[in-house]
Formats: sequence, structure tokens, C-alpha cells
Amino acid sequence: MINISINGKKIGLEGPATVLEAARRHGIDIPTLCNHPALELWGGCRMCVVEIEKMPRLQTSCTVMAADGMTVYTETPRVVAARKSVLEFLLINHPLQCPTCDKAGVCKLQDLTVKYGAVAGRFEEGKRTFPESVDDPLIVRNMERCIMCTRCVRMCDNVQGAFAIGVVNKGTRSHVEPFSGGRYNCEYCGNCLNVCPVGAIMSRLHRYTYRPWQMDKTVKTICSFCGVGCTQLLEVRSGAIQKVSPVFGEGVNKGLLCGRGIFGYGYVGSPERLKTPLIRKNGVLEPAEWDEALALAERKMLEIKNLHGGRAIAGVAGGRCTNEENYVFQKLLRAGFGSNNIDSVARLGLMHAQNLLEDIFGQGAAANLISGIPRSDAVITVACDPTQTNPVMGLQVRAAARAGKKVLTVGHAHGLRRHRTHSLPAHIGTEGMALAGLLSELLKIKKLPGENPEFEAAIKNFELPRLEEVETYTGVSAAMLSGAASALKDVSSSSIIAGRELAAHRDARRNLMLLAAIGYILNSRFFLISEHPNEQGLIDMGCAPDTLPGARPIALQTFRERYEEAWGVKLDPEPGLSLMEMFEQAGDTVRAMYIMGENPAFNLPGRKMVKSALGKLDFLVVQDIFMSETAAMADVVFPSLAWSEKEGTYTNLEKRIQKLEKAIEKNPEKKVFLMEDWQILMEIGKRAGLNMPYTASSDIIDELARLSPLHAGLGYGDLAETGMMWPYKGKPLRMGGRIPALPVSRAEAPSKEQALAPVLVLDKPLFHSGTLSRHAGPLLDIMAEAEAKLSPETGSVLEVTDGAMISISTAEGEMALKVKFEKGLPVGAIFAGNNFGEAGALGLFGYELEPESKTPILRFANLEIKLETGKL
Amino acid sequence: MTRYLIPDACIRDIGEYEKTGGYQGLEKALSMEPGQVVEEVKKSGLRGRGGAGFPTGMKWMFAAGDPKFPKYIVCNADEGEPGTFKDKALLKNNPHILIEGMAIAAHALKAETGYVYLRAEYPKEKEILEAALAQAHEKGFLGENIMGSGARLDIQVHRGAGAYICGEETALIDSLEGKRGQPRLKPPFPVNAGLWGKPTVVNNVETFANLPFIMRAGAQEYMKIGAPDCPGNKLFSVSGHVEKPGVYELPMGITLKDIIYDHAGGIKNGKALKAVIPGGVSAPVLPPDKIDCPMDFVSVQKWGSMLGSGGVIVFDEDTCMVQVAHRALQFFEHESCGKCTPCREGTGWLRAILERLETRQGREGDIRLLEDVSRNIAGNTFCPLGDGAAMVVLGFLKHFKEEFSEHIENGCPYGRTGKRPDRPAPVQ
Repeated sequence: MINISINGKKIGLEGPATVLEAARRHGIDIPTLCNHPALELWGGCRMCVVEIEKMPRLQTSCTVMAADGMTVYTETPRVVAARKSVLEFLLINHPLQCPTCDKAGVCKLQDLTVKYGAVAGRFEEGKRTFPESVDDPLIVRNMERCIMCTRCVRMCDNVQGAFAIGVVNKGTRSHVEPFSGGRYNCEYCGNCLNVCPVGAIMSRLHRYTYRPWQMDKTVKTICSFCGVGCTQLLEVRSGAIQKVSPVFGEGVNKGLLCGRGIFGYGYVGSPERLKTPLIRKNGVLEPAEWDEALALAERKMLEIKNLHGGRAIAGVAGGRCTNEENYVFQKLLRAGFGSNNIDSVARLGLMHAQNLLEDIFGQGAAANLISGIPRSDAVITVACDPTQTNPVMGLQVRAAARAGKKVLTVGHAHGLRRHRTHSLPAHIGTEGMALAGLLSELLKIKKLPGENPEFEAAIKNFELPRLEEVETYTGVSAAMLSGAASALKDVSSSSIIAGRELAAHRDARRNLMLLAAIGYILNSRFFLISEHPNEQGLIDMGCAPDTLPGARPIALQTFRERYEEAWGVKLDPEPGLSLMEMFEQAGDTVRAMYIMGENPAFNLPGRKMVKSALGKLDFLVVQDIFMSETAAMADVVFPSLAWSEKEGTYTNLEKRIQKLEKAIEKNPEKKVFLMEDWQILMEIGKRAGLNMPYTASSDIIDELARLSPLHAGLGYGDLAETGMMWPYKGKPLRMGGRIPALPVSRAEAPSKEQALAPVLVLDKPLFHSGTLSRHAGPLLDIMAEAEAKLSPETGSVLEVTDGAMISISTAEGEMALKVKFEKGLPVGAIFAGNNFGEAGALGLFGYELEPESKTPILRFANLEIKLETGKL
Repeated sequence: MTRYLIPDACIRDIGEYEKTGGYQGLEKALSMEPGQVVEEVKKSGLRGRGGAGFPTGMKWMFAAGDPKFPKYIVCNADEGEPGTFKDKALLKNNPHILIEGMAIAAHALKAETGYVYLRAEYPKEKEILEAALAQAHEKGFLGENIMGSGARLDIQVHRGAGAYICGEETALIDSLEGKRGQPRLKPPFPVNAGLWGKPTVVNNVETFANLPFIMRAGAQEYMKIGAPDCPGNKLFSVSGHVEKPGVYELPMGITLKDIIYDHAGGIKNGKALKAVIPGGVSAPVLPPDKIDCPMDFVSVQKWGSMLGSGGVIVFDEDTCMVQVAHRALQFFEHESCGKCTPCREGTGWLRAILERLETRQGREGDIRLLEDVSRNIAGNTFCPLGDGAAMVVLGFLKHFKEEFSEHIENGCPYGRTGKRPDRPAPVQ
């Protein structure tokens, strides 16, 4: 116990703390400028000086550690005089443009000047000047206002790990500049402007549009872009989001945001949003009344059910919809339409990976705290780049690297190239084979822990390839493998982050078994990349052909009966069709589909097949906020509400349930009447005679809490602050131990021609995700068009230059893309994202189904790359 | 008087150096346990010659006591203090003494890598030093298995990029790591977490150069030289209005008067002494009645200034003190790194006020303002650079306030802005 006294108040401290922290914890405010809880200590601004007995000089409270017996005074005349002088110094060169500065009102310098500053300055010489920089589309820099607290630079270097900005020059001529010059060439995490205490670095998105005090409200909610589930603050005025800002120290993200999270909200206010229900009349979608559209949807679905049976209807749930909506969705499909043909994007890999890990280790095998990543001795990423798909989780990996932990990347992980300590750069798609090599090396030097004899027996039976085989197939040398293994030798805890592609693979089972084995040996916590904000929720809400809410099998009679009793209907015990099967059987056994918040016509491989499947349906209902490629093919389209306009919950990749708060009331004057997804579903369900007595989304969670053992007793009241982690209020269902018997297949070494052939890779860029981000202006400013990213080496092999237009064609389709050289990408790989309408790269991919889990595996055939002449 | 730092004739050849007893100190050190070497240096009472005068043996003891390895030794050769050019003289005239000193330190601290952070403006010295390093390698005083002892040491020369602040040891380390050179937060001190976070001893060129003698002659002999609290010889860089400016190797504790009049030949052209800065520009100025001040770390402080780097700058009766202060503040403004507020903003403000005074735009209250601003800087900065700047201004004001007032009333009496021009008639 450290006992100190601050302003006469006796304070006892449990652990080490700075005087500033100690004071703040006990409600004593000490003003600061350069200090920030997310950043390392700096001590530059000198604002936080205090007087400490027995120390002749004033001390910066932000850097001095509290020591037993210390007596501190925070507001003595000497301290106040020093603060006054610091402010006087700062204002020498700080322009007094508060009336035209967007920061006014939330500016720390302004606030402190009001509190401590002099009435008039004594500095009569000219101030330094810097031209305003508006070279960047998103970030404006006014370096005259900079007070050199360097929070932005410390954030960029030490937290974001992007090293994109720095202080140039010395003394009063110091200012902050991106190394790329005027325009930023960075990750656009926006954290630099979030930590700027003055108006030196600001967002251009809402420039000169409002004053901070004019905001109607600020709403703390969860981000809508990926499965991390970051807490963010929406600042709302006149029914529109004006700004997204972080809440430092709070949420899964502790206040850090990524480019999508901070700049991507614009889609909500897009004029392209759907405003009324649409009904196809004479082949054209025409606006219709809600009643007419709801009645039509209900009538047609029941007609098809009566004619062909419930199994003729299929539904795709939405990874961006809430748990409540997905629950109601599967209830409507199962209880209302009599169909188990329910699936979602979780089929693309997450579900399979999770199921297999849970089979071995028990439920919740991948429910781990993201904040624990930097605390483990080693972090291994496999077939994923968390810094792009789940950026804030990626930051935790970088934090681990910064803390001196081992970071091993298996496969390509561009965003970790400067942070990893070891890498196994396996060719794209051969990461599993590299894991086999790593495992065999690990087994040589590390003992099995002896906790799970059954699994250990399985591991011992693995038929592992020889290292030479691994090298021929993956390109990873034996030396690299043994190097990585010996780096992991003394690891006592680790984190493994695995991408979807490991499960969307011909050898998915082998890959995941190897992953599990390595994780078992290294005492790992698993994290599965989740590309959608509620991908986990889809699984837990029973939006799968074979499970009910609570993620337990529908085939289980006792479990099924629970729901039958509650819903008052008999349920089909047979599992339904999986995602791709629904489309494959469209027009045949599947006659109608209901799609909520998903865009299969764009977001799935085999686009030609999916589109023609949608065309073959007798009836298609789509709920969406935009006229997506899928909605354009529908018979009835319902406009729904976006994430910031509704209440509900998301389950993130940690299996943490978090609550969304409604920031925007969409129907204030009923000019545009829109409903939340669950309300639309409920209206149809009620018409079909289902018992759906919901007046608010909380009623749905209450029903779930009554029925799903996983969610037993859960309510919104439990979700305040940081939400609730698995296993919520219950106990884990089973302890795992179902070890799938499996011989590890030996991959055949590819021929030399095959190994050198260019490969097409589905890129997941940091600045876009799916189809929402193309309606977010600022994200388009950062990345305006589809790109084919490749390394300069690949460029020279293909004989294309940076910026050239190339046409890429496969058996599935053809598209023109602009080449963008990016150093460090694997040779031979062409990265193309699926984010832009005309050039969605999934249109180039076919697929095959992984037989066990029906996960579609991306395939491309007859790849040809041609330089488009005349289009340079 | 024993001189052991700078020989009469320049010695760059290793053979010549050995003839004068060179590398015998290293040989002696290698015959001792590292701990004994540290103890011997502690006993010698050697104080760091970079300016702060911190006991070298203590510094070593802290670093040697840290369990972390590897440890590093760094030679601070970023001689940037205006009025200081002693390290340059050492490097030019006796490069092997630095190498020998570093090798002794490396043995004492069990360090295997040393860096010389060399001032950017010393390209010639870099060549000389690198040639000497090559010779030392060849002769087996550096590299693997030094003199058959099993010890090893490599020394690399790193040129700075011209920032004064990189003479501050933590800024130097940041710069050496490839970062922007700015002082680091202390603690942790470099002896525990210096270069790459490892225990690091940073010593000045002259400090290292004292080691061969200490080892060769022993701490006892060494303590017989110089002042009781500050033993050894000191290199004084004497510049300004003296007949014989240059670098003088003299025992610690010699008076300022002796340095100026006995060794440097007195004031140029027989003029009168007006002021002297005893320890480089960062040291407050002393008036002529203080030239009996003994030149060692303890005494100069008592007499109201600092020994600093031993850069003695002498001003004759025709020198304008405002101009000197202005020139000094120009330097501090330019060299302020920008990390902390008072130094970054304050040095420029002081410079601006002094500039006004010097260009006949002084106003009533300016002296008060100078004092105020200086006091607001002093004691509130992150590192001693800002303190130094403020103390310089306060020093000039303490001893030459009337000259400042004179500037406000009548302009510069030394004709810097024209010889006492008539003031323009006040605007009606």
C-alpha cells in the first residue's frame, strides 16, 4: 500500500500509479494537455505540474510515480503561476481563431485558458504561420494551432503502429506531417485526430457544419462494420450522425477505432436508402403501401408452403442484423413457413471453424478476450490479416509485438509485416500445410501438456508430412519452421487468430485439427476472424439449417420440443439446406426465398449461378436498406432501418453480447415510415398466425432468454457498460472431447508451372467491407475504385505497370481493374476485393463445397490477365 | 605539471601512442577484474567532463549492477556547446586515448559494443578516429580477444545530424536508435535502460580520455592532480578577446584569472576585461571581479555560474552584452527541440525581446518581461537546455542590467544599430 497525501487528502494506492492517476482516481483534477491514458508518458506540455514536499522543483504529475509518504499540492500559488506561464507560452504561437475553429467548445487549450489564462497576452511579436493543409480528403491540418503535445505521433507510432506521421523540424518550427507529404498514406484510423487536444488535426467530414454544443445528443453504441464490436460515440444533430468519436478507455476497443468505424457512417444518411416497400409489377419494382407488400409476402410464402411444402422455402439471415432480428427471422422461417432452410454468411468459414474447435475443446473454445492478446507470450495469426478484417483486434497483435512478445504470421498478413517477429510465408491456400510443418517441429521440442489424453492420442496419430514436402508445397523452408518452433519453445500462453480461409478449404478439417493441436500444445486462446458485426450472433440465434437458438441441434428432440411448445407449432427435425445448396436447388426443390440484410447476388462466389438461381425462384422477398443486386431481383422489397436507427444486440467474435442504442429516430413525422427488420418479420409472422407479441426488441431477447439455455435469464439490464461475455448467465454446455477421427492428408506437391502460376486472392481491404461501405463517401475518398493489388515483382512477371488497367478473366467472369503496386505482397498473387459494384472480385470466383460442412471454397479456373490497351 | 590528455605533438599513429605509454592503461585494466576497475575509477574521483560533473565511477557502478545484458558504452562526441572545442582537439591530436579509454570502460562494464556519437560538423575527426580504430583493431586492442584477455569490443562511429540537443545523453540515445533526438523521461536512467532499453553508459570524450592515466598511474596518483573535489586535468577551450585562444590542459581548480592572463595571454590588444562566460554558452556570465573563481565543478557553482564544458569565452570592454545575450538566445531558440512548452516557446520569446532591444525597439518594461519570461522557463523545462537559456539571460541581467536599460533608452551604445542614432520623434 502506497500512502500519499494530495491537497491534504489521504490517499492509499494498491499498486504503482503516477501522481496524476492517483489524483484523478480520487476526484482531484489536474489539468493536462500532452498526457493521454492510451499513450506512454511524455511530460512535455508542463501543464500538470504540482508541488511535492521535499522536491525543490515543480514536478510533472503525469510522470512522477507516487511514492509512500509523498505530500502533494496541486493548486498552490506557485503551481497556478507555472500553469499560467505555460498557457502564456502556448498562446504565443497559437492563433486566436476560436470563432472559426471547429474545435472551439471542446478544445482543451481553450478550457484551460478560461480557467488559468491571463486576460491579455504580453507577446507582441508576430506568431509563426503555417499554411492550412487540405491536401487530404478526410483530414485537415492547421499546424499553427499545434501545441506539440505529440499525442498524434505517439498514437500513430506506439498504438496504431502505422508510423505514418512524425514531427518535423525543431523548436517553434516543429510541426506534424505525414511522411507521405500532404495527403496521408496511412490506415486512416483517425486516432490522430481523436487525440488532438486542439484544432490542429481535424476531420473534414463535418467541417464548419456545426458547433459541438449544438449537438442534439450523443449516443454510445457499437460499431456496425466488423466482429470486434467496438464501442463508439455517435454525435447526432437534426436526425443525422454528424461525427463518430471514440470513448477512450471504454469498450472492447478501449477507444481505438479503425477507418471504417470512424469515417464509414455516411451510408446511414445516403440518399440512396430505400424509403418505401417495393412490389414487382409487370417486371418492374414499384413503390407500394406497407399493408399491400406485407400481405403479399405472407400470402405468397404460405401459398408456396401449401403447394410445395415448407422445404421449398429458404432464408438467408443477415450478419449486420441484430440478434433479435435474426431470432425472429429463423422463427418466421421455421415456425411460420415450416422450413429449416436457413443459413447465413457464417457458413463461409466461421461456423465450421468454430464447430470443430468446440468439438475438441468444448463450447466457447473461441470465446476469448481480445484484450488478452497482448498479454499472451506469443500470438500466431493463420491465413488472415486481422489488421484489415478486424482492425482493432489487429492492434492488439501489434501491441503484443511492441511488448516484446513473439508474433508469428502463418501465410500472408500484410498489416503485420513490420511487427511480426517470425513468419511462415506459405503460399496462399497452403497455410494448413505450413501448420503441419510447424506442428511436427513443435512436437520435437515441446512436451504435450497431458491435459487431454484423448486429443493427445489423436495428435500422436497425425500423419505429418516431411519438412521437404512442406517446403515444396508451401515455399516455407525447414529452417523457417524450426526457427518458428524454437521461438515458441518456452511459450506458456498464446493467442491464435485464424481466418475464414482455413475452414473454407478442401482440407478444412486437417487445417483446423492442426490449428487445434498447435493451440493445445501452446496453451492458446483462439480467435476466429469475424467479418460481420453479428456473424457470431447468426450462429447463436439458430440461423443455421441444423441448429436452433442457443446453437443446439434441431435434431435433438428434447431441445426441439422446448421450442415447439413455446412457439405452438411442430418443427421439422431434419436439418435444412446450407447456404450454397439453397441456391443450387433454386427453381427445383427451393421455390421461394426470404433474404434479410444480405446480398448473395454480390457477396457469394459462383455469382452467375447465384443470380440465375434467384431468377428461377417463384417468389423472392428481400429486406435491405439499399437497392442491392439481390434486392433488384426481388418480387417484394422491404426497406429497413440501419444500425444506428434501431435497438438490439450484436454478439462479437469474443461471444460478447453488446447492446446497440438507437441514435436516430427514423419516423419523426411519419413522412418516411420505416420499420426495423424484426418489425417487418413480425408483421408477416402475425399475418401467418404466429405468436409474436413483441412491442420492443427487449421482448424478443426476453423470449430468447426463456428458451435458449445458452442465453438463460439474459436481459438488456445485464448488458450495460461492456455487454456480457459467454457463457452469460449459464454454464458451458459440454466440455468438448469429441475428437474427430482424422488422418491428416498429405498434400501433393504442385508442379513447377502450378507453383509459379499467378493466383487470384480475395482481398479484404481495410477501407471497405461488403456493400455498405460503397455508400460511405469518405471511404470512397480514401479508396475510390476497385484495385488489383500486386507486388512490383508480380507486375514485372505479368508485364504490367502501376496504375495500368488490366482485365482479369476466369471461367466465371471478367472484369477490368486498375493495378496498384504494393510492396511486400506475395509474388504471383493478385489481390482483388469484392467491394465495388462493377468490379466485385467474387464475380471471378467459382466454388466447390467442402463436403462435411458445405462451406464454399473459392475456386478460379482459366485465369487470364491482359493489359487493357488504350485505357491507361 | 603533468599533462596526459593532449600531447605536445599530435599523435595519430598507434606505434607513437604506444611509445608514450599508450594502451598500458588498458593492459592494466584487463589484468584486473571488471569490478576492480569500476572500484578504481570510483576511487579516483573522476567526474564526467560533459558538463554536469557526475562521478563517473558511480555511473559505472549503476550500469554494472544492472543484471541486463548486453550493455553498451557510448562516447558523447557531439560537442555542440558554443565556445567548446576541446573534444575536437582531443580527437585530432590524440585519438587513441579515446579508444583506450572506451576499451577500459567496456572491460569494466562487460560491454562488447561501443558507439561514438560524433558531431556532424566533425567530418575530418571522423576520418582520423576511424583510421585510429582500424589501427587498434589491427593491433588487437579492439575486436575479438583483446590483448589475449578474451574480452571483445567493437566501436562504431555514428555521425549526428547537427542538433545540439543530441548532446543530452537520452536524446543522443534516441538519435542513435534512429529516432527523433529528444530527451527521454528519466527514470529509467540510461544506466538501466539506455540504448535499445539496455544498460548504457554515456561518457564524454574527455572523460574516457582520463581513464588511461587513471589506470596506468592509479587512482592515488590521479587524485594528486587538480582540486580536492574534482581531481584531474581539465581541458579548457578559451575563445573570445584573448591574445592566445585555444585548448589548454590545466589542472582542475586553476583560477579563471590564471587561465586568461597566464595561459591565454591576456585580453587582446591590451584592452580591459568586461565579462567572461566560464563554461560554454549555457553557463551564466561572470563579471571581472569574479575572475579569481577556481575552475572546478564545485567552485564555479559557488561563484554563481557553472564549469560546464570548460568553454571559457572572454569579452573585452567593447563588447555589447545585449548582443551577446541575443546571440546566445538565437542559438537556444534554434536548438530547442520543441518537446516542452517553456523552452520551445520561451527561448524564441526571449530572443525576440533581446532583438528589439538591440535594434532600438526596446520598450519600458522589457527588462521586467525578460526576467519574468526567464523565470517562467527556469525550473519548468524537461531538460537543462531551457534552464540554461533562462539562466543565461538572468546572468546578463544580474551583472549588466544598466546596459540593458541603456539600450531601451538610447539604443545600443556600441553602435550595433548605428552609433547612437537620434531616436525618431514620437508620433503625435
